[in-house]
Amino acid sequence: MIYADKNTGIIVQGATGRQGSFHINLMNQYAREVGGTGVVAGVTPGKGGTIVHDIPVYSSVRDAIKNHDATTTVMFVPGSAAGDSIMEAADAGIELVVAVTEHIPVHDVMRAIAYADTKGCQVIGPNCPGILSPGECSLGIMPSHLYRRGNVGVISRSGTLTYEVVHELSRAGIGQSTVVGIGGDPVIGQTFVDVIHRFFEDTETKAVVLLGELGGNLEEEGALTAQECDIPVVVFIAGTTAPPEKRMGHAGAIVSGGEGDAITKIKRLQAIGIPVASRLSTIPSIIQELL
Amino acid sequence: MKIQEHEAKIIFQGSGIKVPQGVMIQRGDDYHKTIASLGDEIVVKAQVDIGGRGKAGGVLMATQKTAPDTIQELFGRTIKGLVVNRVLVEERLRIEHEYYVSITIDRARKMPVILFADTGGVDIEETAKQDPEALRRAYIHPLLTDVPLYIRRYLIGNAPKELGETINQLYKAFIANDALLAEINPLVTTKEGVYAADAKLIIDDNALFRQGIKENRDLNERERLAEDHGFSFVELEGTIGVIGNGAGLTMATVDLITNSGGTPANFLDVGGGADKDRVSFAVRLLGDVPRVSVIVVNLLGGITRCDEVAKGIVEAGVSQKIVVRLAGTNEEEGRRILKEHGYTMLDTMEEVVTAAVRAAI
Repeated sequence: MIYADKNTGIIVQGATGRQGSFHINLMNQYAREVGGTGVVAGVTPGKGGTIVHDIPVYSSVRDAIKNHDATTTVMFVPGSAAGDSIMEAADAGIELVVAVTEHIPVHDVMRAIAYADTKGCQVIGPNCPGILSPGECSLGIMPSHLYRRGNVGVISRSGTLTYEVVHELSRAGIGQSTVVGIGGDPVIGQTFVDVIHRFFEDTETKAVVLLGELGGNLEEEGALTAQECDIPVVVFIAGTTAPPEKRMGHAGAIVSGGEGDAITKIKRLQAIGIPVASRLSTIPSIIQELL
Repeated sequence: MKIQEHEAKIIFQGSGIKVPQGVMIQRGDDYHKTIASLGDEIVVKAQVDIGGRGKAGGVLMATQKTAPDTIQELFGRTIKGLVVNRVLVEERLRIEHEYYVSITIDRARKMPVILFADTGGVDIEETAKQDPEALRRAYIHPLLTDVPLYIRRYLIGNAPKELGETINQLYKAFIANDALLAEINPLVTTKEGVYAADAKLIIDDNALFRQGIKENRDLNERERLAEDHGFSFVELEGTIGVIGNGAGLTMATVDLITNSGGTPANFLDVGGGADKDRVSFAVRLLGDVPRVSVIVVNLLGGITRCDEVAKGIVEAGVSQKIVVRLAGTNEEEGRRILKEHGYTMLDTMEEVVTAAVRAAI
């Protein structure tokens, strides 16, 4: 598995909001199931001293890690303040920020990621469902009951599309090592390339499913990296029938300036010999052959 | 959201960039006095949100004498299908040289990228193909508030050094306005200095709240209504309505319909927490579209309450056939409710799409 395991101590930023408190509960239910550490503290500015699902809440990340052993935060802070919260976490010495928040202004994302980088802090997302390693750790909002442990890694720009594929894999008896939602925004922290490098160093992962969509060209770079690392990979690209210049839900899912349409992506991938699944339902059988 | 030329010019001017004197005219305005101060030779430009406006006949030259006829002519034109409701009348600049400058976001490098070319006023992609040397590119670290001097010098090459200052002013406007694109094509030199002869600006939809923009003009009425409910909605041209949760799954559903021989009517992502009222609203939104003959509902999530979703579908009470795939909690109860009211619930995405395509034919 990659990024986190049973021993990872987690802080939730935006702990007292509806989403934050709801998912603290779910993440800790999962931690109890697998015997892991889970969420040890919450952070909401001005709400220090309160309790959410038996977890103490602090007013700053610095206060939280002074009192608890944690290296990772999961963030549910609203979009208008989330860029700042990423920087706060990086400044306090957090090593990994999982930013679930949607609708963060892209200029804030660029600045926050660049700032986090100067502090050696890595960012997953924003606008992502998080990371789940079955039997180890859940960071974010993924529905853990669909997952089972195994040796296929999954990287995706989309939440529910990931659940769909994980569900299909699990039903076909193919377990997952780690499933990483990298987020649907135009600018994101960890990209397909970064996560592929992690999977390369992971002894458990034998093949990778890469779930992409229209917009940008990071899928091609990710698949190329997998090829260079000799990791078997299958790619699915959503949005082959999307009209140009229209934003398909995700801020990053837009064909602009003639760049990033799904069909061109698929052709480029096929040209370098990467298997591309034309339907989601064929992914398990393609993976079965690669393993 | 796309900002029209005249508004973009006002914004760029606020950062210190010179723009031609101009007057905005709406259809029906009395403009004879206001345009008199622009000098004898003038330019009349249609204000439409579309690229390639010049080639499509949206920019006309005139004099004070011919202005009424020219303005009338432009109001009578449609530019790439768009009706001209506003025109910008500007003084005609005595241009010495035309350049190109734009700033966008490079997704792979996660930072702004500035493009500058010695030849402006033309299709920049053509320039890039024919003369790659003429096009220079520089990435600016997001923590910088100004374009460093050495980068300005690199970008402009042998061009007048005032252009370096203009690039920096445009960069500041790009940052201050949460832009996804800031472009001046052509950027021109005259005896009086450097001018933005055209201006293009696209603002990040996620930052409209702090740019004082209340309404996203890029959306049509139905798309805006959907957005007010926290949905993402894009109209397509087919007959099969699509409701999904999550952008990727909804897109994949739209794709699968097309690949299975059907035509999707829309992309509608209802997001997380699909409850009874939200689902009911979404179904009615599509039910109101006359060309929609069947609706696919494809919702998947650990915490989606299937019984609530089923109630929402029933409550909407639209006339179209609805085929449903739900996975989440209380699946059995959801199935029972749908069955009781004559709706079909299937287990997989493939099954639900196949059923919809068959029903639409």
